[in-house]
Amino acid sequence: MSELYDFGLRPGEARLNITWNGQNGDLPDAVDYDATQQQLRGWAEEAIRAGSIPGVRADRGADLSNFVVDRFPATPAIPYARVMLRPKTPFG
Amino acid sequence: MMEAAVVVAADGSVLHWHRPAGRSHTSLPDSRDLWEVIWEHRELIAGIAHTHPGAGWPRPSWEDVTTFSACEDGLGRRLSWWIATSDRLRHYRWSGPRKHDYAGWFPVGPTPWLGHLRVISGFNEPIWSAP
Repeated sequence: MSELYDFGLRPGEARLNITWNGQNGDLPDAVDYDATQQQLRGWAEEAIRAGSIPGVRADRGADLSNFVVDRFPATPAIPYARVMLRPKTPFG
Repeated sequence: MMEAAVVVAADGSVLHWHRPAGRSHTSLPDSRDLWEVIWEHRELIAGIAHTHPGAGWPRPSWEDVTTFSACEDGLGRRLSWWIATSDRLRHYRWSGPRKHDYAGWFPVGPTPWLGHLRVISGFNEPIWSAP
């Protein structure tokens, strides 16, 4: 049996945080820390559309194609890895 | 000249000057710090202005309009997006119906941040505001 880290995460897993429509919340299920940006967007879109992220109202039109991923390893202050999906901000 | 940006409040005051590492005369890189500023001031922010090189009327790039749309999706509301060159200023807002349809307008109201935005962008040409 795999060792469970704090907050129910196994080694290599992370908590996925999503900002959408002026709201912010964590996906209830853990994700792989090294999941691709495309995978993370897909899981997040599905969750937003289904209304399964606490703190984020269901939105069937959710489109995260212009969102990017920031990855944060565990720290002494926050003892679990986090993956955050947020709007991109470059200008050309 | 190096592109720069400014985050503007609804009362016209400046919330943040944006001069990130990695900026160039044609682009500003993606920045988590900028998103954090936008999110922190989400109740106050009216929009963001950035510079384009050269003179004449600016037009948003595809990178620009996809960033406009992404930030508005994140905030859940529409913003104003100004683009300044050395001698012109244009104000863009979502016009629809498609996700990336943004129309340009003459700026309405004072833009007290415009002169300093051009200074930190390194424009050397004479400065004047759009009509």
